[in-house]
Formats: sequence, structure tokens, C-alpha cells
Amino acid sequence: MANAASIPAAAAPKGKQHDPHAVPPKIVAIDPPQEFVRDSLVLNGRSLGWLTERIAGVCEGKMPIWWWPAFIVSAGMMTMMFALVAYLISTGVGVWGLNNPADWAWDITNFVFWIGIGHAGTLISAVLFLLRQKWRTSINRAAEAMTLIAVACAGIFPVVHTGRVWFALMPGWLIPAPNANYIWPQFRSPLLWDVFAVSTYGTVSLLFWYVGLIPDLATLRDRAKNKVRGFFYGLFALGWTGSNRHWSNYEKAYMIFAGLSTPLVLSVHSIVSFDFAVSNVPGWHTTIFPPYFVAGAIFSGFGMVLTLMVPLRTLFKLEDIITTRHVELMCKVILATGSIVGYAYGMEFFIAWYGGSPYELYAFKNRAFGPYWWAYWSMISCNVISPHLFWFKWCRTNMVFVFFVSIVVNIGMWFERFVIIVTSLHRDYLPASWGYFTPTWVDVFTFVGSFGLFLTLFLLFIRFLPAIAISEVKGVTPQADPHHPLGGAKGGHH
Amino acid sequence: MKTIPPVCPEPESGPKYWRSLDQLAERPEFRQWLDQEFPSGASIAPEGETRREWMKLMSASFLLAGLGGFASGCRRPEEHLTPFAKQPENYTHGGWQYFATSMPSRGSAQALTVKSSDGRPTKIEGNPLHPDSNGATDGFAQAALLNLYDPDRAYRHTFQGNDVKVEKVVDQLAATAKKFAATGGEGLAVLAERSSSPSRAALQAKLADKLPKAKWFVYEPVDFAVSAQAASIAFGSGVVPHVHLEKAKRILSLDCDFLSTDSDATHHIRGFAKGRKPGDGMNRLYVVESLQSLTGGSADHRLRVRPTDVAKVAAHVASFIASGELGVALKALAKGSPASDKWAGEAAKDLVAHKGEAVVVAGYAQPLAVHLISNALNALLGAIGPVVELLPDTEKNDGGIAEAVAALNAGLDTLVVLGGNPAYNAPTELDFSAAAKKAKTVIRLGYYEDETALVSTWHLAGAHFLESWGDARTSDGTLVPVQPLIEPLFGGLTEIEVLARLLGEAKPAPYDIVRATFGRDDQAWKQFLHDGFLKDSAAKAVTASLDATAVAQALASFKPLVASGYDVVLYRDAKVDDGRFANNGWLQELPDPVTKLVWGNAVIVSPATGKKLGVTEQSKDGRKDGGDAAHAHDGQFKNQFIKVTLGGRTIEGAVWVQPGFADDTIGLALGYGRRKVGRVGSDCGFDAYAFYAKAGGHIVTGAKAEKIFKKDYLATTQEHGLMEGRPIIREANLAQFKAKPAFAQNMDLDAHLPHYVPYNDDGTIKNIYKHPYKQNPETKSEVHQWGMTVDLASCVGCAACVVACQAENNIPIVGKDQVMRGREMHWIRIDRYYSHDADLEVTGEHASADPQMAVQPMFCQHCESAPCESVCPVNATVHDEEGLNVMAYNRCIGTRYCANNCPFKVRRFNFFDFNKRETDYAKVQGQFFLNTGNLYKGPLAENRNEAPNWEIIKLVKNPDVSVRMRGVMEKCTFCVQRIEQAKIAQKNIAKGSSDVRVPEGTFKTACQQACPAEAINFGNMLDPESAVSKLKKDPRNYTVLGFLDIKPRVTYLARIRNPNPAMPDAKSAPDSIRDYERFRHENPFTDESGHGHEGHPAAAGAAPKGAA
Repeated sequence: MANAASIPAAAAPKGKQHDPHAVPPKIVAIDPPQEFVRDSLVLNGRSLGWLTERIAGVCEGKMPIWWWPAFIVSAGMMTMMFALVAYLISTGVGVWGLNNPADWAWDITNFVFWIGIGHAGTLISAVLFLLRQKWRTSINRAAEAMTLIAVACAGIFPVVHTGRVWFALMPGWLIPAPNANYIWPQFRSPLLWDVFAVSTYGTVSLLFWYVGLIPDLATLRDRAKNKVRGFFYGLFALGWTGSNRHWSNYEKAYMIFAGLSTPLVLSVHSIVSFDFAVSNVPGWHTTIFPPYFVAGAIFSGFGMVLTLMVPLRTLFKLEDIITTRHVELMCKVILATGSIVGYAYGMEFFIAWYGGSPYELYAFKNRAFGPYWWAYWSMISCNVISPHLFWFKWCRTNMVFVFFVSIVVNIGMWFERFVIIVTSLHRDYLPASWGYFTPTWVDVFTFVGSFGLFLTLFLLFIRFLPAIAISEVKGVTPQADPHHPLGGAKGGHH
Repeated sequence: MKTIPPVCPEPESGPKYWRSLDQLAERPEFRQWLDQEFPSGASIAPEGETRREWMKLMSASFLLAGLGGFASGCRRPEEHLTPFAKQPENYTHGGWQYFATSMPSRGSAQALTVKSSDGRPTKIEGNPLHPDSNGATDGFAQAALLNLYDPDRAYRHTFQGNDVKVEKVVDQLAATAKKFAATGGEGLAVLAERSSSPSRAALQAKLADKLPKAKWFVYEPVDFAVSAQAASIAFGSGVVPHVHLEKAKRILSLDCDFLSTDSDATHHIRGFAKGRKPGDGMNRLYVVESLQSLTGGSADHRLRVRPTDVAKVAAHVASFIASGELGVALKALAKGSPASDKWAGEAAKDLVAHKGEAVVVAGYAQPLAVHLISNALNALLGAIGPVVELLPDTEKNDGGIAEAVAALNAGLDTLVVLGGNPAYNAPTELDFSAAAKKAKTVIRLGYYEDETALVSTWHLAGAHFLESWGDARTSDGTLVPVQPLIEPLFGGLTEIEVLARLLGEAKPAPYDIVRATFGRDDQAWKQFLHDGFLKDSAAKAVTASLDATAVAQALASFKPLVASGYDVVLYRDAKVDDGRFANNGWLQELPDPVTKLVWGNAVIVSPATGKKLGVTEQSKDGRKDGGDAAHAHDGQFKNQFIKVTLGGRTIEGAVWVQPGFADDTIGLALGYGRRKVGRVGSDCGFDAYAFYAKAGGHIVTGAKAEKIFKKDYLATTQEHGLMEGRPIIREANLAQFKAKPAFAQNMDLDAHLPHYVPYNDDGTIKNIYKHPYKQNPETKSEVHQWGMTVDLASCVGCAACVVACQAENNIPIVGKDQVMRGREMHWIRIDRYYSHDADLEVTGEHASADPQMAVQPMFCQHCESAPCESVCPVNATVHDEEGLNVMAYNRCIGTRYCANNCPFKVRRFNFFDFNKRETDYAKVQGQFFLNTGNLYKGPLAENRNEAPNWEIIKLVKNPDVSVRMRGVMEKCTFCVQRIEQAKIAQKNIAKGSSDVRVPEGTFKTACQQACPAEAINFGNMLDPESAVSKLKKDPRNYTVLGFLDIKPRVTYLARIRNPNPAMPDAKSAPDSIRDYERFRHENPFTDESGHGHEGHPAAAGAAPKGAA
């Protein structure tokens, strides 16, 4: 009997009657092959307490030295943008370089650019959540914040590019509201769809982000060292105590928002693409736009997430939380979406030829070889060539290189929108109406200033709110697994 | 709505007032009308009516009487027009009145009817009653209205530059009169512009009588008198040729741009277009020219030669026609002609074959010899009589500017300058300014305080013709009145008044003078003022025969310019004329009909010459950007400067490479580079008069040109001149047209590729959207459906419609900087396309040297399924029930999406508050750093439009059309205000009945009204008898971009060319068609391309698909 313990169960003679009292054979755990082992999402076995300390510490302590110059420069740029917007509104849209035939140029380019950047946040927080991609937890908070800020930046352009902003913002014009003339907005216009799509997206994203913030706000409230902080964090923490009921409701709410946000990821940029696809401008009028725009938006969004996260993890020493694996995974998303975008570029040309419309064909020839050839080839090299470097592991793991490519991707995606908008408009049907768009200094500095707004808000975000979802990251640590030697009921940190 | 006033039927005795002409005539219709409207009211004494009802009825009937009063052109002869401190009788506030008047210019005049809104003239139209007019005008006449309200016009009288009261001026004139009455006019000279005014002629005669020693000089820098001079030599008496192109089947133009910059363009366009109807009687135009002109663009055969060679070609052609002594002289002159014998011979043969129906015209810039040849040829071709009338030349003078300067240098005491601007535009070698300073006194009557004002002792503010009493004769000699519509805004004087005062009259009344000159009885006078012309007063043609010997002798003594270096052509500008309209923003911003340049002139060279000078950026295949290379290369308008040197003088200017321009020739437009001008005209171009050495010296030779290290901006409204093989303007040769009249409907994607555009069984294009009117039938009016056709065979591109539209619709001027940015606001764009000979490209010759040119007016097409409407987020642009695409300006927030989605790019956005901007438009800072210094910057900013008299520019606005603020989109409305006025008038006629359909011809759109060629037709498509309904059934009718299935209400009639197959340069098809064939591999004239679409309306030539 005593021997039986040493006999492996599998080796037990067959047919032998099972002895209910027998000591079960020893279970030998065979480690999976090394290549199947996933790195822990938090490196170096950091404890839960360390995580709270490190992440909350970023927004509790003094800001590092670089934060202030960065903030002052960004705020200055932001102020410049608002000053230029005031100039634009007081003098006229003509201070931009827009013209006839290019009635849209940098304004809508910037709008689509920023709204595209906003896509990564929701994709990470909603789609990856539903797909149980646990690596999202290290980056989702910052990405969502980026989304909200990008949507704010995006929202400015379509509003101020209108000739009469005061009417555009007045209920009864773009915003459906009863008025004395019984005129409603025109629901056939994609611009109106934009209004609904972007505002819905912004609202849902904000709520989603805020719901996710509540447990962390409570943590910050509990850690607050002065009353003001305590009051404000407490106010926004909505009385969170971390009770099971709270957590249960929270998880449900989070899931619902994830479910609501997921279609929005697809709808917003599809609808933005309708601005073009619904028109009859050669180069715009194409059914490939919705998927191609969504892929491009995710592409640019991940580019921007990397642009922000790569320096952030180094500057705040968050490498154990935002690991190389996270960066690699994002690079792979860029590679995938970049390939979709590249395919779309090729397919556009094919259809332009295959479709048989000489007007369409000319628009695409003109894109590549017309007066804006430089913009087109900038776009191609940034968006089609650069992501393919991410086939190489070195490229995905070298942070300087990743940072560089992420910026290139953003430049490329700005050019993509510029190319689509301006090259299609500047030469359409009647050659006599053809023209050329040149930006003015106001165009350039308004766009530059929008980065000021973006960075200012982002810097304020990392100053006051935890840039990483503390509670969620804790949930994906090994300790969070009850079966883990350090996890669950065995004690340790909560 | 413009109503032509009916004729006054009976003489008036004593003061008698009437409510309308019908009442005056006691027509039964009037009585009936009155009875119908007020059965118990106005026509019956108010028995038992209450006081209130009585008041109601009376005010209503007065109102209606006022409506009738629009037509009351017959009015009491008032000398002074005063603002309405008291409400005059028969006047409806807010309504308008029309007055017949005329605009005198250069010894001719245009008969006009001018609309007056609340006492201010607001729109100038042609006088359709005038026998030599169809109610059309040229752009100058349209724009002359803006001159009236020009804040920079002479608004004061000055003595040595200081303001003086008019009394001082009167005293001065009286003193001058007194002084010279004593000396018999010794030391007095008058320098005047050419005029056809009988009153002025009478005063001139009186002056000659009273002051026999006084001199009378006449000067026009661009003078059409050379044609009279030549005719007088050829026919032996003082005669002026008056050409009737409508009677000509073959026309040879010797550098004569009769469709634009030569004399009486309106008259000639009308005549030419009449003879240009595609079919058997269609005329054929041969043009020999150096500039690429509109006439050259309309030519069937165009020979591009240096300006100094035109005389040789003229002689060459003529030598095939003339014989004897004249033939010998011509043969001698024809030596070295650049035309091939075949070209000249075949052209001559064609002319001879149409004896009695062929005419030769010569341009004002050409020397006398060319005009002699044209006169001789006209006589030999039997044109004198049937086509060319010889009218007596009544002009008398003591010489021109040379004699005037000679007199000044000889010590003239007093020079009186009546109009003109000799200090700016006199020949350089005369140095008028220096000479004028030698005179003791220079008294100048001028409309502007310009260059000549600087050398004048006294400057008298001149009155606008809309402020003056006067008279004139139109080119056919018909007497027309100049009657004022408004009291002189700044107390300006007229020529007649100044002359009368010089004659010593103490209180001359121009009205009395004009009335006295007219003579006849009061009834005739009233009729004259009412009709705007004197019936049957056209000059009687003189019968004369050719004095071939005199011509031969004159030709033999003619010393042609021997071309050396570069030839220079100093030409009359199609916009600012000789400089007189330099301060007129409408004209400065009117695109040049060919180059499309605005706000300045350029050094114009041919592509080959440009290459020689190293300034072209021609691509390898010569196609890029239509060959207008130096041009808007990739949108950059910063053009290379060229320095031209001639006789020690230099001109520096930005170069413009013009396809179709003669090689080794430089074209310089006169009238720019004004040194003393108002705020509008400053900084516009350079002064080409520097090369204008002697009167009539429009063509000079021996210039040197070189590229210099300087660039500047040129602004053009059209950057790209090629159609890129797109069937936008569809054209065919006459033979092709005859073989397949509906060829134009057999082009583009909707016609020849049925598998590309799917069709329904009823022949309409298959569309996933239902036609809006079919979807909502209740939104369609069954009374009116407006539509328009533009006949490209008639349209010559004169752009009168563009200015007319600007005047009618309160379209702002945007300035050079804004035009450079593509923000011009014109609702009509005249698209000008070049097409090159594909064969030349293959053989490597310079493709853009001899392009074919075609023009197309492009404006809102009023699509039934308008792409602009479906994308507007706020419903600001919508369709009305009569087929108009309308703009609700109040609703527009300016997303500009509509403009992006407009395939014709005809929507115009107010990028700034252009209506509030300052008038110094021409400043340019660059592309990146835009010039906003002279823009209106909102109510809180410091704004500069407090400048003197700035406010008066607002008076030019048409009160029937809203003035758009910044941030809103605008575009052609089909003159909706005129439509509505016509409908209201018709409803008043209809009363309660259903007769509310506006009859054909009741009104015209502004562009249609101004069009001398009658190329634009507008009307009700539901009226089967309307011209537009008929034209839409014409086989030439086609829709631009029809395959988009947006169903435009504007359609075009294909252009037809009529080449002579015997000519060496004859082409089997227009180049644009060959381009189309090359690009699309489709031929609209063969059946193969038309396969598979039987039954669809485009092929069947039915009405446009849109007319649902």
C-alpha cells in the first residue's frame, strides 16, 4: 500500500479494482514549454501595494522637473490656438487658406486626424475588454483619456470652420431644436450624422472612462493627504467603498459600456468617412471608405498611444507595468491595421481603373502624380512602408525606434486625410475650376496649437488622475489569481 | 422685371396727370381692368361707403396706379431731380422706374434703359427698342454704374489743388470767356475726347464762330478713327464704314478683335452671332492676328502672325482678289508674307465665292495700309452696300494730341481739357505734362482727379452720364438722348455746360441746350426721351465707289514697319479700356476674356518666345496646364519678371505665357500702372504707355526683352486651360454636325457606355434615389418650371453677362489677394479652354502654339437632384417648386460642403465680409502671409472704411437682392427676384383666374438681358412655345456631366465650327473632339460608339431627362 504512492496513476495495472481508500497517485505538473509561457503582465513580481504606490504616486507627489516646461509650452500653444480661433471667428474663415475648389482643407484634415486618434482608446477599453485581452489594463486609462482629449481637439475644427459659428452652435441649426420656422436640420447630410456620431462617441467614451476611474478615485481619496484633494476625489468617487455590491455593479456597468462602445468604435469613423463617401467628388465617392477609415483610425490611434506611452513609461518608471510586451502588442496592431490601410490604398487604385470612370481614374492619377505628389508619397512612405518594419522583433522592442515610427505613423495619417481631402477637391470635374490649396500661417499655427491643447490636457490628466487603471492592473497580476501561490485567500494585499 | 414703356399716343395739352399710360390712352383694357379690380370702388363714386373703406380703396388704387407707373417713361421735362422730401405723385416707394438714356463713348454711344430704385440708378440695361440693339450691352456699360458711386471720383472743384466753390469756377469760366471774346479766341484751345454729341458739335461750331482763332483738338489714345481715315481715302469723301456682320457669310479679320476690344463690340457680337447659326447659312471667320483674342478664339481659320506682318498677309490675300494697279501695289506689299500661298489663295477664293456676302475688317491697332486694303477688298467683294454702309463722317477738329502739344509748346494761353487723361495716356514723345505746364491756365473737366488733374490749374469735377443732360449718336448714326436719373452727386459739370460758359453764357442749362439742338416739337422730344432714340435718325449711307488709284498710291507710299527684335502690341484692355475704368472694381476683377488675369496686366508672350526668354515651365509633352505655363504653375502665381526695352524706355512686368500668341511678340495691355488714381486702381499692373510713342502707335518693333531677377504675383481666375479629354464643351465641324446633328448627346459616360450607367425602361438613368419631384409630386409647380440653355455656337465669351450679374445681384469685389486664393465671387464664370492639335504633339512641334479656343459660361446649373442640397446639414440650400435651387442665406452656417459636392464648382463662399471691406483691393502680401489689412475685421476691430465718401458705394446695391454677409454660401439664383416680380405682376393681371403663368418674354435674367449674342435663353420649360423648351429639343442640346444624373436645368447647345476644307490648316474635327477620342477611345460621330443605347433619350435627342 505504501508503495502504491510511488506508482504513477497511469502506470497502475489496468483492470485492477479501484480502491476508494487508496491514496491518490501523485500529480506531476509538467511545465509547459518555455515558448508557451506568457510573461506576467506585471514584471518583477511587483506586489499590489507597490502598484498602488507607484501609480498613485505619479499624481500625488510633485511633478518631475520636465513637467513644468512641458506644461508651459503646451499651454502656450493652446493659448495661441484659441487666439487664432478668435481671429478666425472675428475676421472670417478666409484667414485660412481655403478656397474654391478646396473648400475644405486643413480644417477637416485636422478634424479627421484627431477623431481618428481618438479611436485607439475606445478600441483598447471596449473591444479588447470584450475579447478578454488582459494586457489592455496597463494602457486603457491613458488611451481613453487620450481619446477624450483627441475628441475635444477634433470637435473644435468642424465647429470653427463654419462660416457663422454663432449659428452653428445655436440650437435649431445643427442641433435639432424646435424653432419658430419649423426648420429642422437636414437628416440626409453626413455632416449632421457627424454631429450625432461624434457627440455620442464623446459622451459614451467620457462615461466609460469615468466609470472605470471610480475605484481608483476612491483609492486616491483614501490616500489623500489634504482635505481639498480628499474632497474632490471623494466627490467624484461617488462614495465608493469597494464593497462586493459596488464591485458587482461596477463590473456590470463596465461591461455594458464596453458593449455600447464597441459599435461606436466602428460607427464614428465610418460616419466620418461618409462625409466623403456620400459625396460625388471623384476620390471621395467610394464604398471602401468606412472600413478603410476605421482601420486607419485604429492605426493612427495606436500610433498616438505609443507616442504617449513610450516616453511616459520611462519618465515615470512604469516599465514593470507597461512592459515591452505591451509595446510589442501595440506594434502588432499597428502592423495589422497599417497593412489594411496599405491594401486599401492599392484597392482604391484598382477600383479607379476597374470602375471605368475616367474622372475617377484621373483623380487617383492626380493624387500620385499631380501637384500634390509629395503629399501622396509622404503618406505612402509613412503609412505603408514604416509599419512593416514591425515584422522585425528588434523594431518592436527598441523603444526609441518604436517612438520614432509612432510619430511617423501619425504624420502619415495626417497626410492621408490631407491627400484624400485636398487632392480630390482641388481637381474635380471641370478643369476650369481647378485650383491649388496653400495653407496660411493661421492654418499652420492653429493646427500646431491643437497639439498644445492635446498635450496640456494630457499633462493635466497625468498630473491629477492615475494614468494606469490601478484596480484593473491589480486584477491581472499573478497575485490576483486565487490559485497563485501569492494570490487570493492566502493573504497579502487587497 | 423690366417693362418697356409703351409709346405716348397723343399730344398733351396743358398739365395733365394720369395714373398710367393706359389710363391716359383710355384704352378699353384699362377700363375693364379698373372695373374688374374695384367693381364698387375706384371707378365708381363712393356712395355710402364708410370713410375707412374709401381710404382703403383709394390707397389701393394709388398703389396699383404706381405699379402701372413703372412704365411711365414719359415724364415732365424736369431739369433738376431732387430727393423725395415730399412724396411725388404716381410714385411707389420701393418700386422702380426705367429711363431711357445712353452712354457716350469714343464718338459713339450705347442706347440704354436704366433702372432707378428710389431715385438712384441701380442697373443699366441696353435699350431693346433701339433699332441697332437687342437690349444688350457690353461690360463697360454695365460697370459704368459703379463709376457713378465711386468714392474716389472727383468730388470737388479745385484750383491749384485746393478746394474751390463752384461759384469760383463759374467766375473763372466767365472770365475766360470774356478774355477770349476780346481776342477772338487767340491763345485758347480745347482738347476733347471724341464725341458724337450734336449739342457739343453745335457748341463747337458756335465756338469756332465766336472765337475763330481758338483751336479744337481731339484725342483718344485708342482711336478707331483710322478706319474712317482709310475709308475716306478709298472712297474719296469723309465716310465711316459701318459693318453689318449679320449680313456677312464670310468674314476676314485683319487683326480686328471686333468681338471684344475693337469698336462697337456689342453691335458686332450681335451681328456675328446672328450669322453664326449652325446650318447652311453659317458664316465663316478667317482671322489674321498676333494676340490671342476672342475673335481669334471664334475663328474657323486663324493665322498667327507677328503684328508687323499683318499688313503683308492682308496684301497677300488681297493680291489674289485685286488686279491692275492695286494688284501690283498689293503684290509688292505682300512680299515676305508669312501666309502660304495656299492659305491666302484659298481664303481669297472663299471670299470671292461669296461676293456681296463677304467682308473684311481691320483692327484699330493696324496701320492705315491695312485699313485701306480692307476697304478696297470690301469694295471688290461687293460688300459696300450690302454689308458695309458708308456713313458720313461729321467730326471736325483742328488736329490731335500732337497739334495740341505743339500749340502748348508754342505758348498757348489757356487749354481747356474736356475729359480724357492726356497726362497719362498721351504719346510719350510728346511729353504732354511738360507741355501743359507751359500754358498759363489749364482748365480740366475730369471725372477723376487723375494724372491730368496734377498738371491742371483748375480741375472741375465732371458729371457722370447718368447725372447729365446730353445727346449722342450710336454707331449707326441714330440720335439718342443722355438724360439724367439723378442730381449730380458731387455737383459735377458737363462738357456742354463748360462749353456754353466758355461761350459767355451766364446761366447755361444743359437741358435747354440739348432741347434746342434737338429742335422739333415737344411731343417729338417726349417721344425721344421716352424711347431713348429718335426714330429713323440713323445716318443715311453714302454711295461711293472705290478709288483704286488712290488706294494703290497710298499703299505704294506706305512704309511698313520692318520687324526687328521683338514686336510690341499695345492693346486696348478688355476691362479697363485705355485706363478710364482703372478705378472700377467690377472691371478690374472681371477676368480678361482670354488670359483670365485680373487686377493688372502682364507681359504677354507666346510659349516659344517664353522658352526663348527662359520663362516657361513647359512639360515634355506640352500639355501640362494647358500650356499657360508661366501661369499658375502648381498654383503658384509668382511669375518671372521680364524687362522690355524699347527706344531707351523700359517696362518691367510679370510674364504671362499665352498659347496662341504670336512668336517674338510682346503684348502689353494699356490702361494699367496708373500713377494717380483712386484706391481701387492703384498698384494694378504697369504702365504700357511708356512705349506709346506716337498717336496710333499701337504696334512698335525693335524691342529687347530679358528675364530679370524678380517675381511677383499675377492673379488669374482660371489656372487650368485644358479639357483633359473631357466632353465639357462639345463641338463639331459643320460637316460633322450635318451628318450627325445629335453628336453631342452621344458623348461622355451617360451616352456611350450603357453598361457604365444603367438605364430604366423609360430611358432615364437608373438611380437608387427617386427623383425628388416624383417622390413628392406636390412639391412640383405645374405652372412654371424654369430652365436655361446656353448656345455655345453663339457665345463669344465677351463677359458682359458676368458684369451684368455682378450689378444685378450685389456681388462683391474681393481683390487681387483673394482672387489669387480662388475666392472670386462671380456667379458666372466664363470657362476658357484650349485644345491642341494632337498630331502636332506627335511630331514634337510646339503643341500650344496654335490652340483652338472655346468658351463656356458656367454658373449654377440648378440640378433637379442637386448634390449640394442633400449634403447641407441645416437645409440652407433647397429646391423650390419651380425647379430653382435656392439659397436661404439666413439659414446658412457656411460648412461649404455644398460647394465641395458641386461638380461644377459654381458655389461662392463669403470668406470675409467682402461687402464691408475697404476699396484698396490690389495689395498682395503672399500666399502664406495673407493680406487682411484691408479687410473688415468684425465690429470690434478697428476698421478703415470711414474713408471719404466710402458710404456712397453702397448706393450701387440692388435693393431687390439681399447683400450677403460673411460666412454664407451664394450662387446664381436664376435672378429669382426678377422671376418673382414677373409672377407678382402676372398674378395682378390674372386676378382670381388661373392665368398665372408668366408669358414668354416678360422678363429676362440679367445675364440673358446683357448678352449681345443672345446665347443665353431662359424661360418656362412647361410652356411648349417658349424658346427654352424649343432649344432643349435641339439636337445640339446636351447636359454637362449628365452621367451624374443630377439633371441640371441648364443645358448647352454644342458649338459648331465651320472650317473651309480647302484651307491648308483645315481640320477634320475640332481638336477637342480629337482629344476626347484619344482619351476615351470613343467617337461620337460613328455608330459603333452609340451601340446598345437605342431608346435612351440622350441618343434620341429628346428633351433633357431632368424635365420630369
